[in-house]
Amino acid sequence: MSTEARTMDTSASVRPEQRWERAVPVYGFPIVTPFFLCLVVLTMIALVLTAYRELAGLGPVSGMNDAYGWGIWKTFNVMVMTALGSGAFAVGIAAWVFRRKKLHSLMRMALLTSFLAYACGLLLLGIDAGRPWNFYWIVFPWKWNMHSPLAEVAICMSIYAMIPLAVENLPPLLERLWYFDSRLRPSVEKIERRLHSVFPWVIAAAYLLPGMHQSSLGALMLLAGERVHPLWQTPFLPVLYLGAATFMSFGCVAGTTMLCCLIWKRAMDMEVLDDAAEITQWLIFGWAGLRIVDILFRGAFGTAFAFDRFAAVFWLEMLTTLGGAVLLRRSISTHETDKMFLGYILSSVGGMVYRFSPTTLAFRPNPQALYFPATIEVLVSLGFIALGVAGFLVAVKRLAILPAPLYVWHDMASYFRFRRPYIRWTGYFKYGHFGEDETLANNPD
Amino acid sequence: MAITRRELITTIAKTGGTAAVAVTVGTQALHAETVPIPSAAVGLLYDATICIGCKACVAACAEANDTPPDTRVDGLHQSPTDLNELTRNVIKLYKPTDGTPASFVKRQCMHCLDPACAAGCPFQALSKDPQSGIVTWTADKCIGCRYCTITCPYHIPRFQWQGYNPRVTKCELCNHRLEKGLKPGCTSVCPTGAVIFGPRTVLLTEAKRRLKENPGRYAENKVYGETDNGGTQSLYLSHVPFEKLGLPELGEESVPARTLRWQRRFYQYFALPAVLYIGLVQIIRNSLKGHEEEAHERERQTGLRAQL
Repeated sequence: MSTEARTMDTSASVRPEQRWERAVPVYGFPIVTPFFLCLVVLTMIALVLTAYRELAGLGPVSGMNDAYGWGIWKTFNVMVMTALGSGAFAVGIAAWVFRRKKLHSLMRMALLTSFLAYACGLLLLGIDAGRPWNFYWIVFPWKWNMHSPLAEVAICMSIYAMIPLAVENLPPLLERLWYFDSRLRPSVEKIERRLHSVFPWVIAAAYLLPGMHQSSLGALMLLAGERVHPLWQTPFLPVLYLGAATFMSFGCVAGTTMLCCLIWKRAMDMEVLDDAAEITQWLIFGWAGLRIVDILFRGAFGTAFAFDRFAAVFWLEMLTTLGGAVLLRRSISTHETDKMFLGYILSSVGGMVYRFSPTTLAFRPNPQALYFPATIEVLVSLGFIALGVAGFLVAVKRLAILPAPLYVWHDMASYFRFRRPYIRWTGYFKYGHFGEDETLANNPD
Repeated sequence: MAITRRELITTIAKTGGTAAVAVTVGTQALHAETVPIPSAAVGLLYDATICIGCKACVAACAEANDTPPDTRVDGLHQSPTDLNELTRNVIKLYKPTDGTPASFVKRQCMHCLDPACAAGCPFQALSKDPQSGIVTWTADKCIGCRYCTITCPYHIPRFQWQGYNPRVTKCELCNHRLEKGLKPGCTSVCPTGAVIFGPRTVLLTEAKRRLKENPGRYAENKVYGETDNGGTQSLYLSHVPFEKLGLPELGEESVPARTLRWQRRFYQYFALPAVLYIGLVQIIRNSLKGHEEEAHERERQTGLRAQL
């Protein structure tokens, strides 16, 4: 693809037929594929093992022990995966608060990935809790320990995923209802109007809450004190955790979108992707700068040159994030999508290593302590990630999530008109086919 | 003319912002940061120089708390290797290979004046009694998150890894015995008086008397727990460095006060988040207006329903 890409580079602007103008479902592909079935099987295995875990306790199913009280369910599925799923926060702030208007075309992807990452993370948080039935205290605010970072995380994360994030994900669902049956249209439009009137309050909460709990995730390890290696333990942990979440989620949203475009053969809007890459690289440089300045000021930089696993993890993290940022930077002007994709992957992996370190890789409760996840633990963790991926596949194939040029919408309309004419019999498009003038459908006279 | 909603929100954001920043930064010390010594603080004084390591206290502790003896090492003797879900109190031996003096150490909850476990506990399952200062665990409030095992600088609370109804085990200073006028199990059986029970002030005076009467006998010539980690109610005297006994050097400020200062200030009265929220609403209200107009413009151009 490189020669083609290079020739395309010379044209400064993006061809208009590549511009993302509308979210279009991935039509013409079956939902049930071998890969999808694998995901379902993984999820089923995880559910069965979860039932076993609830009866047997945490010890028999996990590698957790007295020294490492937290395993990958918390430290990977919650701390790392929700950082990847902070797209609704980071991309949203860029689009709505800083008004980078091009990023609006990525918003539905961001909202969906966020919702799935948070939902699966929260499910696993409930499974990881030893006494989950006591979660009902969450409805009595006067019983909260307001100064506990963990209370902040648990309460704020559940509220965020269940209210603002869920509400923000309603428009694609309502849109599908609108197209599904013309008789539903008046009530759907009524709901939409109500939704739009509360949107500023919902969207603002959707930025405040993740800002609070993504930073509190970092604050969790402040109380662990010196048991976290000095390269990671810093009063700036909350800020650094939040910063890592922003660039990781940009990588997740833009990278996933690119991957989807590749798989389902959609055009890539390089104007939008350039904008995202531009923001991501500055986020990474800013984050890495703060991280290094903080280490230098605390005088912990010497430990980075010790010949041990902590130094290795640190350099792995630094090289992947900064390498990713450099790749992104170089891909912006040349429109080399392979470099850009690799840049997103590398920087996200670096961020994941960072978010995973204070609780696990760089956590040293005592010299003899060891933690390695047990097989069941890994299977459950994978199963809940598989659940999220499966949910994603269903959603992009049934809802208008993935951005595309305008002609894809018309293609989809003709696809359904000619391949599935029976849809008309169900009253699917009473006022004409979609892809034709849909405003007429609103006002038939 | 009546004030518009926009003006109202902007005014709230401006005045509230100043006030919130003032509350966050200007407050000298938050209520949560000041460490009051409970009015009737009780505690233990353990003197490692007197302890003979007979482990009578380990057995007495299990008996007093009605826990089955931990015989998992050899299936015969009650010999816990460390604190665990059956063991609230354990005697360990520090024996260096370089010929310097060895020492026994009794490990149980320190009952910190500002306990990190309670500071981190999301629903106050671990709480400090305002009178006696005993840190207790309440089964009804614990969600089993195990954050206490991460936060405790002395690594005391232990989680039960087996079973569907796990519990957190830690020394609660036999508060059920104290109610009956009895002493904690460990102090009631100690044959040498290495561990004694009493009000914290009395214990502190006694410890200082021993330091004064036996110069050179005790390491660092100090009582561990007088000020360490903001002060603890279990006090230690030792002839070997405290760090070797698992009592780390934590400074005079308690761990929660030192590490959560900014976290606590940010959330004080929820002032700063509330102001941030109002400001965000205002910005997004404006963005949304422009965005909706553009969407409807595109709807007119393309004839396709607007996607917001």
